[in-house]
Amino acid sequence: MTAVIEARGLTKSYGATRAVDAVSFAIQPGRIVGLIGPNGAGKTSLFKAILGLTQFDGDLRVLGRDPRSERNELMQDVCFIADVAVLPRWLRVSQALDFVAGVHPRFDRSRATDFLRKTDIKMSSRVRELSKGMVTQLHLALILAIDARLLVLDEPTLGLDLLFRRQFYDTLLNDYFDKERTIVLTTHQVEEIENLLTDVIFIHRGHVVLDTAVDTMAERFIQLTVTSENAARARQLGPFYEREVFGRVAMFFDGKSADELAPLGELRTPSVADLFVAKMQGVA
Amino acid sequence: MSTPEAAATAAPPMTTTNQQSVQKILVTLFRREFWEHRSLWIAPLIVATLMALTAIPLHIGNLDLDSDSQRYFTPENRLGWFTLLIWAQTVPQYLVMSIVASFYFMDCLYTERKDRSILFWKSLPVSDSMTVISKLLVGLVILPLGVYLLAMVTGVLFQAIWSIRVAAGSLPDIAVGWNTVAWLKVQGLMLYALIICMLWFAPLAAALVLISTWVRKNVFLWTTLPPVIAIIVERVAFGTHYVKGLLEYRTWGIWDALGVNPTPPEEGLHHGRVVSLADLFDNVEMGKAFLNVDLWLGLAVAAALVFAAVRIRRYRDDT
Repeated sequence: MTAVIEARGLTKSYGATRAVDAVSFAIQPGRIVGLIGPNGAGKTSLFKAILGLTQFDGDLRVLGRDPRSERNELMQDVCFIADVAVLPRWLRVSQALDFVAGVHPRFDRSRATDFLRKTDIKMSSRVRELSKGMVTQLHLALILAIDARLLVLDEPTLGLDLLFRRQFYDTLLNDYFDKERTIVLTTHQVEEIENLLTDVIFIHRGHVVLDTAVDTMAERFIQLTVTSENAARARQLGPFYEREVFGRVAMFFDGKSADELAPLGELRTPSVADLFVAKMQGVA
Repeated sequence: MSTPEAAATAAPPMTTTNQQSVQKILVTLFRREFWEHRSLWIAPLIVATLMALTAIPLHIGNLDLDSDSQRYFTPENRLGWFTLLIWAQTVPQYLVMSIVASFYFMDCLYTERKDRSILFWKSLPVSDSMTVISKLLVGLVILPLGVYLLAMVTGVLFQAIWSIRVAAGSLPDIAVGWNTVAWLKVQGLMLYALIICMLWFAPLAAALVLISTWVRKNVFLWTTLPPVIAIIVERVAFGTHYVKGLLEYRTWGIWDALGVNPTPPEEGLHHGRVVSLADLFDNVEMGKAFLNVDLWLGLAVAAALVFAAVRIRRYRDDT
């Protein structure tokens, strides 16, 4: 199957600094991919390259198109939410619907109004009168009503309270996502979305440090918790990261068999969040 | 709209090509500008209302006692006064419109970056050229045509109030009550002048739009200071004033371009003759304006400036 996003040697430089450094990856259709990295890792540069908002070097295809030269065609099939604060404050809710309906050939207005009806948002309200959470709901309502192939979200829930964040991702999963669509989202709050993701791409200082499907993560990564007596023996097997937890040591292994590690202590599959920390500290 | 099933069976291309019609997108973009920049319609409406109502408190005192002014209010001048009254009340309207339009142009591609909404606008399938051109058209064509229609209405209202006051004896009976042919000719003359103005001022408007999408802050200073500095530097360094001359020409040169032959002085106001604008309409050389080379040169420059603005906005974001 053709990849929705395919990057080869993608590089974004700002002067001498390389925010994204010769990155290669492919994202398949029907996946929910988390682009995860600490602040300043290059997430936003990558996001802007994918959406044709910035120049870059290397090769990048989004839905088979080059976002630099074919942005106008691309935006018919790509939606994005940059973050919560970009809806203009003067815009009325009804005007937002009018506008998107007027410019987007595949906007289903009734879908957006149905969604808004379930919220406290009034049609006559201006964005400036809405709470931050409501603005996100409004933006989500607009996006959900567009029949797009790819949805890109850059820190979409930044600064929202837990209730809105939970609601946001639930809606995304239940009302929007299907096997024809692909969602790419960047965040640094890993814990909250790890159950949602089918794939993770970790980026750190402009490099991809991990690119894996979540369901194959268990085959590759093992978190071994050992007592300090066994620590030295376990260490010989080459964990890529370890940390101490309540007098015991948690070690992270990549591509080691469970049989080999089991005699040394407790085994489990690391969570995305744990793996993220391990990977980030491991390469630091 | 394609159902998921249909999309699943369909082979590549990976993107669909059903387009919103250009016309529908443009109309939406135009509406958007009037939502955001409410001064575009509020300011003209306020001035128009004021102009229509000026005929109510207007006071012209003691014409009979002033022997010098007496000679202007002859029966031959009654048509001239009629057309002049219609014209005079439009002047403040067009003046305010130019100010509103200038600030609109400076603002139109600047605030979207300041409030970061550019990331929302750019998330929708609207090209940069469509966006930039829609903004230029709003300020350069739609706003002036709107003000033209408003001025037409207020002119009639003004004239109606004037006539009532003449009948009541509180204003002097110096103009004809109504003359449809003259009125139409004045409207025709003003529409013609308006169209030439749009073309003539296109490069200035495009320059403001370009600055608006270019600068990162202080758009007003970036618009006003460079020409002032250029004029001063040129004067100090070379003792010349080409920049000043060019700016003046692009601002006031319109009067030459219009081809409206001014009344010879010996027939003008000094000699007690009030020229009817309807006569001006009869004598205007419309072809001359459209054959003006500078008018077309200006349009070429405007096109280049718009092209530059489109290119700059292409990779503009919220930073």
